[in-house]
Amino acid sequence: MVAIEVPEINYTEYSNRQLVAVPLAVLVLALAIIGGWYLATGAPADLGLEFTGGVELRIADDGGDVEQQIETAFERQPDSVRSIPADDVYVVTFRAADDDPEGLANDLSTQADEAGLSTEAVDQVSPSFASDTARTAVFGVGLAFLGMSVLVFALFRTFVPSIAVVASAFSDLVIPVAVMNLLGIQMTLGTIAALLMIIGYSVDSDILLNNSVLRRTGDFYESVSRAMRTGVTMTLTSMAAMIVMAVVAAVFGVDLLRNIGIILAVGLCADLMNTYLLNVSLLRWYKFEGVSR
Amino acid sequence: MLEPVKKNWRILLLVVVVVGATVALFAPQFGPQTAPGENATEAQQGVTNLQYGLDLAGGTRVRAPLLGYTATGVDFGGDTPVEVEEAVAAELDDTGARNVGTYVEDDARQVEVTDASVSEDQFRAAMEAAGYAYEDVRPGVTPETRDLAQEIIQGKINEAGLSGGSVQQVQSITGRYFMLVEVPGEGREDVVSLLEERGTVQIDIAYPTDNGTAVEEAVLIQDDFENIGTATQREGTTQSYVPVTVRNTAAGGEQSPAAGFQQAVADRGFQSAYQTETDRCEYNTETGEIGNDNPCLLLTVDGEVVNSFGMDPDLAASMASGEWAETGSFQLTTGDFATAETISVNLRAGALPAELDISGQGTSSTISAAQGESYKTYSLVTGILAVFAVAGMVFLRYREPAVALPMIVTALAEVYALLGFAALLSYPLELAVIAGFIAVVGTGVDDLVIIADEVMSEGEVNSRTVFDSRFRRAFWVIGAAAATTIVAMSPLMVLSLGDLSGFAIFTILGVLIGVLITRPAYGDILRRLLTIR
Repeated sequence: MVAIEVPEINYTEYSNRQLVAVPLAVLVLALAIIGGWYLATGAPADLGLEFTGGVELRIADDGGDVEQQIETAFERQPDSVRSIPADDVYVVTFRAADDDPEGLANDLSTQADEAGLSTEAVDQVSPSFASDTARTAVFGVGLAFLGMSVLVFALFRTFVPSIAVVASAFSDLVIPVAVMNLLGIQMTLGTIAALLMIIGYSVDSDILLNNSVLRRTGDFYESVSRAMRTGVTMTLTSMAAMIVMAVVAAVFGVDLLRNIGIILAVGLCADLMNTYLLNVSLLRWYKFEGVSR
Repeated sequence: MLEPVKKNWRILLLVVVVVGATVALFAPQFGPQTAPGENATEAQQGVTNLQYGLDLAGGTRVRAPLLGYTATGVDFGGDTPVEVEEAVAAELDDTGARNVGTYVEDDARQVEVTDASVSEDQFRAAMEAAGYAYEDVRPGVTPETRDLAQEIIQGKINEAGLSGGSVQQVQSITGRYFMLVEVPGEGREDVVSLLEERGTVQIDIAYPTDNGTAVEEAVLIQDDFENIGTATQREGTTQSYVPVTVRNTAAGGEQSPAAGFQQAVADRGFQSAYQTETDRCEYNTETGEIGNDNPCLLLTVDGEVVNSFGMDPDLAASMASGEWAETGSFQLTTGDFATAETISVNLRAGALPAELDISGQGTSSTISAAQGESYKTYSLVTGILAVFAVAGMVFLRYREPAVALPMIVTALAEVYALLGFAALLSYPLELAVIAGFIAVVGTGVDDLVIIADEVMSEGEVNSRTVFDSRFRRAFWVIGAAAATTIVAMSPLMVLSLGDLSGFAIFTILGVLIGVLITRPAYGDILRRLLTIR
């Protein structure tokens, strides 16, 4: 039977600068992607229906050339048509270009009926409601991050270890957003939930590491490897759950669960890197050089 | 006898919680509330008491604000609310006093306009022209109007027999209120037209003749009402009433509606019929006949009689003498509050006090029942597979069933307890809540891993003291991690971000159940398995 053995990294072979370089490079790259996206599209990510406004129809695929019919059924060109074979539906999205999405939704579902397509679900979001939602979401993520930071500082009461946790949590948030852009995953309410979940999840292993190094007796490297054994197991377990959720939900076409799964899996992956490279090196610097100053 | 209980109270607590969850899930006493005209079996969805939200059951959700503007902190300058309403309405072209309302609570005085065609600038100008100072004008209507709209929508949903339909007010980050209407099992167009539909309402007089009962129709029609109040209960009694005012002015010297109504009532002999409080109207809605010789007022909606009324002797007398039309107000009294509410809704014929702006600033979504049904299956499969993935990882890591098996069982108990909570609170399960459950399995197992690793590190556990000190150390990390998750999730719980509050509520609830109940229990189980050999 295969066993998971958490590998022991010999940290003594690398300098702090070398250890920090990798996560920092990835973070800079992620920020560059998001920045570039912002310059190109005017938004930091590919915003979904909830944040832009528009109409989304789920049309049943009852055999025949539904895709062909969708092409011709609507007076407006759909912005995207996606097929979800497991569920036998096509998801057709129209971005809000006008002030009356309600009327648009009615027109579109009438047009679908006339073309003999059966509509399983209709979602309509008006642009002004959407921008309100977007603001609320940004506010929510900001508030959660701030709350987490305050709590971490209160728990450890020392600057460097606390900032290490906050910095790696920040990177854990930014990297999944950049990956979303690359994979073409839209920013929806589900992904916002996933980002908040990352704040909760990713801090776990950082706290474990800090606790082990700062509050427990013993050699620094011993403490780190002890925390790693537990922390890596934790992260891998959660990742397994999320990857399975993402894959299964993708097959079934349950977008919300798929997106949450993907983002959390990416975020946890980023967390492995940030905790055991960025956080460890900051702690080592603090333990061996920072304290004596 | 007490010693084993004391020693194992953590495990016992977990057992109690699991049993409690089972009761909440399956006992018929905790079944979902039934809608009017529905029996318990119909309300139940599946074998458990769990309720499913729109995502999983199919239906329509509409979220939209009520159109209008409200001036806050208004100085009435000693005028009565009615005078203020009339003065402001007079400054607005084509807007009657019907579309201007006031709201007074303690020192907070507000004036609202509910005519969608009035712009914010026009309203500000009218307020200034009428000479009332105000602090600010915000989009939206007063709390009173919102409550009334909510009542009317609920009334419409109940009347249409849509079981499980609900309406609530939600506030967005900008402080704007939205009406959130959810109707399971109905299509979008049906719900929107139900919300926008408006019936015709009128008051008729039924009176006895030699050949049975005759009806004089439309003595009052919808436009004749100046104001229709909300249902109010008389203090200390079950009696309730709806205050209404009939317009007592008319253009070009014609008879005003109030005078016309007064004339009709006097002509049909209400005064002689209603001499004392014991005289009652005995109109039978089924047959359309009056049981005694007293004339009755009939409230009809879309041609159908929905309520009948007799008349108070004083009111009948003041109508006969012709004094009543000067004020034009009376109260429709009923035996109970619920009927009064229905009458208030009926009188408005389902017209909302302000326009619900679904297209401009709202959102709506519909999911067909078939789609909901398949989502239900899919999320169940997804959840089970995610649990298997976690179990697989744990077995691979520890390879010792004594550690891994209780870990998985405890994590499952956590989800089960959460389901019990959902049934107990009648919280409808949505896709987002399912995602929350899966997240709970993830965090739950994480913490159990921390406990297991901590307890088994540094050699054998040979005494209870050693175990306890290690367990306590592990608990610091778990507590800190739980606190961060709760802090991270709490904004979602209160912000109005669609289904995500469900996700947040259940993640936080799961973390709490975990830290307070299941994780200590796992510690006890592990101690028994590791120390007693």
